[in-house]
Amino acid sequence: MSQLMIADQVPGDELMASGHLACPGCGAPMAMRMVLKALGPKTVVVMPACCWSIIAGPWPQSSLGVPLYHTAFETGAAVASGVKAALEMRGDRQTTVMVWAGDGGTFDIGLQALSGAAERNEDIIYCCYDNEAYMNTGIQRSSATPWGAWTTTTPAAHPESNAKKDILAILAAHRIPYAATASVAYPVDLLEKVRKAKAIRGTRFLHILSPCPPGWKYEDDATVELGRMAVQTRVFPLLEVEDGVTWRFTAEHAGDAVEPYLRRQGRFRHLTADQIEGVQASVDARWAALERRVANGT
Amino acid sequence: MPEAARSRRVPELAISSTSTLVTHTGSWKYMRPEYHDRVAPCNQGCPVGIDIEGYMALLREGRLTDAADLLLRENPMPATTGRVCHHPCESACNRRELDGAVAIHAVERMLGDFALERELAAPPVSPRGTAVAVVGSGPAGLACAYHLARLGHRVTVFEAAAEAGGMLRLGIPEYRLPRVVLDREINRIRAAGVTIHCGVRVGSEDLPWGTLLARFDATFLASGAHVSRPLGVAGETAIGVRAGLDFLKEVNRGGRPSIGDVVVTVGGGNTAIDCARTARRLGARSTILYRRTRAEMPAIAQEIDEAEREGVEFVFLAAPVGFTLDGDRLRAIECTRMQLGPPDESGRRRPVPTDERFTLPADTVLTAIGEAIDPDGLPLAGTGTAIPTDMWGQTARAGVFAGGDLAEQPRSVADALGAGKRAAIGIDRHLRERAGAPLEHREPDALRLGGRGNLSMTRWRDDDPVPRVAPLNEVVTYEDLNPAHFERANRHEDWSLPLEAAVGGFDEVNRGLDRPAGLAEARRCFNCGVCNECELCLIFCPDVAITRRNGHGFLIDLTYCKGCGVCVTECPRGAMLLTREGLS
Ligand SMILES: Cc1cc2nc3c(=O)[nH]c(=O)nc-3n(C[C@H](O)[C@H](O)[C@H](O)COP(=O)(O)OP(=O)(O)OC[C@H]3O[C@@H](n4cnc5c(N)ncnc54)[C@H](O)[C@@H]3O)c2cc1C
Ligand SMILES: Cc1ncc(C[n+]2csc(CCOP(=O)(O)OP(=O)(O)O)c2C)c(N)n1
Ligand code: SF4
Ligand code: SF4
Ligand code: SF4
Ligand code: SF4
Ligand SMILES: [Mg+2]
Repeated sequence: MSQLMIADQVPGDELMASGHLACPGCGAPMAMRMVLKALGPKTVVVMPACCWSIIAGPWPQSSLGVPLYHTAFETGAAVASGVKAALEMRGDRQTTVMVWAGDGGTFDIGLQALSGAAERNEDIIYCCYDNEAYMNTGIQRSSATPWGAWTTTTPAAHPESNAKKDILAILAAHRIPYAATASVAYPVDLLEKVRKAKAIRGTRFLHILSPCPPGWKYEDDATVELGRMAVQTRVFPLLEVEDGVTWRFTAEHAGDAVEPYLRRQGRFRHLTADQIEGVQASVDARWAALERRVANGT
Repeated sequence: MPEAARSRRVPELAISSTSTLVTHTGSWKYMRPEYHDRVAPCNQGCPVGIDIEGYMALLREGRLTDAADLLLRENPMPATTGRVCHHPCESACNRRELDGAVAIHAVERMLGDFALERELAAPPVSPRGTAVAVVGSGPAGLACAYHLARLGHRVTVFEAAAEAGGMLRLGIPEYRLPRVVLDREINRIRAAGVTIHCGVRVGSEDLPWGTLLARFDATFLASGAHVSRPLGVAGETAIGVRAGLDFLKEVNRGGRPSIGDVVVTVGGGNTAIDCARTARRLGARSTILYRRTRAEMPAIAQEIDEAEREGVEFVFLAAPVGFTLDGDRLRAIECTRMQLGPPDESGRRRPVPTDERFTLPADTVLTAIGEAIDPDGLPLAGTGTAIPTDMWGQTARAGVFAGGDLAEQPRSVADALGAGKRAAIGIDRHLRERAGAPLEHREPDALRLGGRGNLSMTRWRDDDPVPRVAPLNEVVTYEDLNPAHFERANRHEDWSLPLEAAVGGFDEVNRGLDRPAGLAEARRCFNCGVCNECELCLIFCPDVAITRRNGHGFLIDLTYCKGCGVCVTECPRGAMLLTREGLS
């Protein structure tokens, strides 16, 4: 087949409604929509503070067709563990409990709760939609912000000076049964991973890259395109890890140059040619390491 | 919300009671996405005026019969064009930019053969009172007659030769176009209600022009160009020097003239290639003498390749200046070496002679430097080398239309078929106007697929079986597509007869693609500019604002669409546009 006929591959039922409050072109609702399509209606969502807390709508509205529990910023995985325990007490072992958190709520403030739940192998799915900064409060850097990026707390004169935290490796190191990356630009890959995760018991982790037009500074229509470029440049490879040891790529990664990807985004506008070369070198090095991991396991 | 609920205090655990559908986020937008079917470049590039994209889309769905019907609306002879057309559609195909044009000719041929095999034909239309004469049964005449019959006119075709088909039968050799294929396509045209009288030369005492013009309400002239141009070189009348077209006509009638062991053909067009390949099949060593280089040869490139494969030799940059005779017997052709000068009016570099001379031994020389029309055999005064017509195909004489090789247009089967259709529309329009029942005003430009292409019979009849969404008559370029959604897939190449079998006789050489390969090739088509319901727009919309419309197409709920444009950018085929809110 030389064309993507996605109509045959994506379930039609919608569990997310229009009228939500995401910015135009936001990747976050794209991610939620696909994930819920794969999980189905027997799902409870636990959500720490993030853009999605707003996207879901003000009380008494909700943009989700499944129960959604808003909770404190640092507590996503802990609350989900509790919700799951409560459901089991009531004899419900079918309902999926999913945390839906931003990168700030995952990489930074929610990390200890997440690590604890993963260590206990709680029977939850934890989804981090990653827009690479604290967007809801006005674009502050997080430990998911890539090297060189502008944010309001890392202005162009002093852009982000640390590399993005390798959250997948951290979760893999917990030896949880399933951890994966995904992208809003690859909906079929995302659906497959969620279906796979749903069928497993224990802690499952999904890291979904979710481009953000105002935070990354690009035109609203380019969200999917940037998601695709992130994968094809190997900036954000599509991977899955089983039991923390079996690493696998789940897509072809063309290895396109990173420069056009960076140049599409205003948050990287200040980068010099040398700096872009540096980014390319670190992407290449990380890719080489990943290939070794995929080849050898661990 | 009921009164009781509204008066209730916010509970300790706030529970939602409604969805976000109460928030009309559509008011945020300043850009508006719209669905518009546009025109694929192949459609504009096809001189016949075929909706190529349309039948490719139907083939993708496995609807062969519907695809063949769509094709037969515009082209009465797809099994023929699928074999001999120079396919400029493929030069226009957007897929060239990715990994090679769709092999449109092979898909058309597969579908044309399918239509013959299934004997698909439109039901004949009962004719009205109007009678139209067509002079000449080449592709131009046959197309005009077919379309007129389908429009309800009584059509009679007069053909001087013993059988119908024009150059398709007289000029093009069997190994490129088997006569069973041609016969069956002509039979289908007859079945559409066309009467063909062969062996009648209009303008002779059989049927004088005056009688013809008086007897019919309108006439289409399509007598082609059959007068071989002389070389203008001394000795040309010697035995052994012969017009190539004459030679082909003889062989195509079943004759096997003796041509000796060494044959030189002068020229660079299709006639020259056909002469040289036919000479090979009669057992001769065969050489083509051409005054420019291979790049300038007007023949179809694939035919040149085939000739080379079959062992035809080429002498480029050479022109004949005389013949060496032994008594009245030809011994050799005398040539001058040419070089390429500045470009001439055709844009090709003009060949200029040098002082260098050489001779090539030859038992037979075939001349194939072009064919001219016979202006004396026409009911029009003052015709030069080609008959001028207006955009409906009408000549200076009211009610007399012309097209094909006779007229000012490129000389090809496809151009002739397109001209026949254009004249059919012109004649239909003329006769309706005369009868005081004109079709509502339709400009030729609106009947062209994309504005430069040929006329669309479907648009003239206004009975498109393909549902269209807010169509725009503009062509979709590669830049309008989103190639990220297309996987690379190699073009399927035609299958050819092994060399020995090819040169050993007159069996068809190029065998095209079998049905599975043809259908796979059709699935390579991007469907440029026309929604094929892939649903990517629907899936990627962050605001769930797109839903399927009952029956066909999609609805954008402007109450919620925020105008991000993701749908438009992600549409693989340029079937959506983003417009400024309030300005469209
Ligand atoms: C050898 C050769 C190979 C070719 N190969 C190709 C090819 O591969 N691809 C391609 O696209 N094109 C090819 N062409 C060109 C193509 O064949 C012509 O452009 C096309 O056939 C023109 O169609 P037409 O209907 O205008 O005229 P024709 O096909 O020439 O038909 C005219 C008909 O009118 C008849 N006629 C003439 N005068 C009268 C009269 N007074 N009364 C009644 N009947 C009359 C003739 O007998 C003839 O049958 C080739 C041409 C030649 C000569
Ligand atoms: C303990 C605590 N600190 C700060 C906040 C303010 N706050 C709400 S959302 C948010 C940013 C969330 O960032 P992230 O998790 O990346 O999600 P995003 O908004 O980017 O989607 C912050 C800082 C809070 N709600 N609670
Ligand atoms: S700030 Fe970014 S992530 Fe948040 S709603 Fe807007 S586009 Fe989406
Ligand atoms: S890809 Fe298909 S629709 Fe597009 S130009 Fe080629 S044949 Fe035509
Ligand atoms: S993707 Fe959705 S919200 Fe964006 S322009 Fe298209 S219909 Fe509107
Ligand atoms: S994305 Fe697919 S479904 Fe949507 S308009 Fe384009 S072709 Fe049609
Ligand atoms: Mg964030």
